[in-house]
Amino acid sequence: MYYPRLRGHAHVITDAPEVANAWRGTLEFILTSHPLDCPVCDKGGECPLQDLTFKYGPDLSRFYVPYKMHFQKPVPLGELIWLDRERCIYCSRCIRFCEEIANDPVLEFADRGRAQEIVTFSDPPFDSYFSGNTTDICPVGALTTEDFRFKARVWELRNVPSICPHCPVGCNIVIGERAGDIKRIMPRANEWVNEIWICDKGRFGHHFVGADDRLTAPLIRGEDGQFRAATWPEALDYVANRLAAIISTHGPRAVGGIAGARAANEDLYVFVKFFRDVLGSPNVDHRVAWPTGTGIEQAVAHVGLASGSNLASLGPGSLILLVGSDLEEEQPVSYLRVRRARRNGATVVVAQARPVKEEAEAAHLLRYRVGGEAHVMAAILKVVLEAHKNALDKRFNKLKGAQQVREAVADLSLDELARISGVSAEHIRAVAEVVVNARDVVIMVGREALVGAEENAPALVDAAVALLAATGKAGQVNSGLVALWPHNNSQGACDMGVLPDMLPGYRPADEAGATVDDMLSGAADLKALYIMAADPARDRPSSLNALKNVELLIVQDLFMTETARLAHVVFPAAAFAERAGSYTSLERRVQRTEQALRPPGEAMPDWWIVAQLAERFDAAWPPYATAVDIMNEVAKQVKVYKGMSYDKLEGEPVSWSTVAGYHHVYTGTSTLNTWFGRTWAVQAEARRPKYALRWSGLRPPRHEEGVRLVARRRLYDHGTMIARSHLLDRRRARPEVLISSQEAARLGLEEQGGAVRVQANGVTLVTAARVEPRLPADVAVVACDVDGTAWNALTEGGVRAPFGTLEKAEEAVE
Amino acid sequence: MFAQILKGLRTTLEWGLKKPVTIEYPDIKRPVFERFRGRHELKRHPNGLERCIGCSLCAAACPADAIYVEPGENTDEERYSPGERYAKRYEINMLRCIFCGFCEEACPVDAIVLEHNYEISSYSREAMIYTKEMLLVPPPPGVPDTPQRTPAPPPQDMEAPVSNPQRVERTPPGGYITSYVPVHVVGEEVHPWLLNPVDEEEHTPRPAEAPSGEERA
Repeated sequence: MYYPRLRGHAHVITDAPEVANAWRGTLEFILTSHPLDCPVCDKGGECPLQDLTFKYGPDLSRFYVPYKMHFQKPVPLGELIWLDRERCIYCSRCIRFCEEIANDPVLEFADRGRAQEIVTFSDPPFDSYFSGNTTDICPVGALTTEDFRFKARVWELRNVPSICPHCPVGCNIVIGERAGDIKRIMPRANEWVNEIWICDKGRFGHHFVGADDRLTAPLIRGEDGQFRAATWPEALDYVANRLAAIISTHGPRAVGGIAGARAANEDLYVFVKFFRDVLGSPNVDHRVAWPTGTGIEQAVAHVGLASGSNLASLGPGSLILLVGSDLEEEQPVSYLRVRRARRNGATVVVAQARPVKEEAEAAHLLRYRVGGEAHVMAAILKVVLEAHKNALDKRFNKLKGAQQVREAVADLSLDELARISGVSAEHIRAVAEVVVNARDVVIMVGREALVGAEENAPALVDAAVALLAATGKAGQVNSGLVALWPHNNSQGACDMGVLPDMLPGYRPADEAGATVDDMLSGAADLKALYIMAADPARDRPSSLNALKNVELLIVQDLFMTETARLAHVVFPAAAFAERAGSYTSLERRVQRTEQALRPPGEAMPDWWIVAQLAERFDAAWPPYATAVDIMNEVAKQVKVYKGMSYDKLEGEPVSWSTVAGYHHVYTGTSTLNTWFGRTWAVQAEARRPKYALRWSGLRPPRHEEGVRLVARRRLYDHGTMIARSHLLDRRRARPEVLISSQEAARLGLEEQGGAVRVQANGVTLVTAARVEPRLPADVAVVACDVDGTAWNALTEGGVRAPFGTLEKAEEAVE
Repeated sequence: MFAQILKGLRTTLEWGLKKPVTIEYPDIKRPVFERFRGRHELKRHPNGLERCIGCSLCAAACPADAIYVEPGENTDEERYSPGERYAKRYEINMLRCIFCGFCEEACPVDAIVLEHNYEISSYSREAMIYTKEMLLVPPPPGVPDTPQRTPAPPPQDMEAPVSNPQRVERTPPGGYITSYVPVHVVGEEVHPWLLNPVDEEEHTPRPAEAPSGEERA
């Protein structure tokens, strides 16, 4: 990428006397005005300037410089990053990172000569989700984070490899632990996942682990309606007895389980095993923040991004098709990866109903109408199948269902599809041509596409699968389908079979259980509900009735969440840093973590709690001592995880970071990453792929009065985990609605916006409206997971895109 | 026979007539060498600010892992040391310490000095963890204690090494040792930094029995 590109066979000498001499001269000059306050500098100990001075630096300077440049010591570059101008050596790495890699050009040099300094000119200052990375690549201590400022010296930290718990990218991180506290989070270099970057949510969002309000003991609701602390045996016995009683009266289907997708694979596997084997209930699901009934879980197992893929290796001739994504807000490091691919020459096509940041990378922008997502995809498929018959893959026709797809697509009219989706037929033909000619095709489907398509979501997924199969890209390295999941282990939850209609490893279940929608709406008529690591009362406030009506509500979480407040029994769980586990990223890379801290009080890992319950039902389970035992069982029982073990999750071929070794000049940290994880192979990679194509049928999109409300998830929201990082408070998402200029004119608002009343889904909110000129007229973008639960009620936490009405409000809003 | 007994007791009697070599500790304390490494002290600047900047280099140098430092950040309203950083917590586990003096050598600001107090014993392990309050010397007379409300002093270029004036001026009571002569020091002023609570009554000299150092010499 930014390393020198060498053509042909080159031999680079880095240790010649000339090199040392050049280093010596440069260092001598740099040190004429470096404060040398290494003892107080947070970079001391992993400072490239310090190391190079030790290795090459002269002990005396020939320069007569009567003074050193002095500035006021630290000045803030935003509230996350501090700048020490005395230490800066004007290498401009931070400026280049922001400009070239993150596409947030907010830093620049000001002044000249010795008075030169780095300034930020954005409002809020240093407005970037990747600002923390500049402190890693800063070769001196000029940029330091507020989070780690004067917290510890780097050599005192115990560096524990882990996986970021915030989003499905699965960034490799290293937890710097000291005296039982997380002092800092740094990226671990992994060329397949996050290179050497992480976003600021990953870096500064760890404070929930050490928060004061963590649950520390099991709680049982007494006769008086108050919680009382209980011992583990007491609470487990209570739950086991109540569950057994409910099952004996109402049958096993009266029990449901919702597992949050931030739990580890081991927890989810044991959870599913408990429900299906021990209780005999098929009602398990994890999709609290993801639409159900789209079929994308199965599609990813069929034609997902093939193992061995690396988005960074995409280049000229590669295509990344983003449908309904908002990478920077939901999977920030994926944005860097897509941008890197584009810079390497790949073509990026963005299909989105509203403006998003990755549009800047797009060669083609398909601005469809909300509800027309599936129609866009079907139109591309139609053009590919019909206008490029010669380019189609020969294996396509042999696939089961191919003929059905052909016929169904032949019945569609391109003009009609173009009319419904709002994307011109010309534009679709151009994109289809890119798809056909592409060397690699990566299709990333975001939540907004599936939510907006509503009942056409299965058709959207079917079209994407057929597109990959027809072009012969299914199963090919660097090609495939990626679901942009909402949580760090949503993919693992699908793999472990936390789905009502699938067993672990995507085996179809004999009888389908209740989906999360049924369980939370009350349609499943549950008597007992076991919720692990999820907070539906907050994310989907419409579930309040269902949650209140169950006879037994068991909640297993880190905090006293909205859902836990309604519970009859609350189990305290251990956070990701307090136990070992494995997580599966959106590229299906299984990666493991190590325990860094002790859980607070009596909190225990999720799998332990579930296994203890199973023991009380006389389940003939092997005694699980550690997460390793469960992983070994998963490797035997779950087909796609065959042959995996914690040992095998450690090594992969040599990467750049392995070559660089402990050299933090390149990797930012002085920890060497040797745990790269392992991707499991999708069905299409098999020699004789056995997946079938489907066609679920396209219906015209629903139309009602008003504008379509699209929920935008922001990186810094008010979620349970991130809310504890008060460093981010000032950047947190605010309640607001983005409207188009036309809508603003219709409502009679000022040019910048004003107060509006939003009505949808039985909720009325008065809020500030901001005009976004690039927004289509029939779409309004609403906040989600901001203060309170009202905003989540509007869109069910982002899994619905209802029609809503806007009117000008007289009330003043801040 | 009597002569034989005397012969047998010769050595005993010889020593009985000599000046005794036993030093009546704790009534009599032998002075230590100037560079003796006793209990640590955290020094101050003449203006009362702490020298320690909380850099943890002492902890890094410590072969016994006896030092724990937790740094903090100074503000003009609440200033402990001249620069940006100070030691919020500074603890030495005296049970672990081997008095090698590496911390003193590692200290870039001459804040930690192994002084001459060797009376470090206690009835509990907890009491052997010396906190910053115990290690820090009191401010010079008439100078306010930290935290002070004062702006940061102007930055100094570290071209000339800064010497520690406190260290040079200090002479042990009775002067530097030239030979092993026990000197009676009990009853002299107890050093203010000896923060282990001293029972005054117990340490008042017994006038009749305790001979003074000069007499002994």
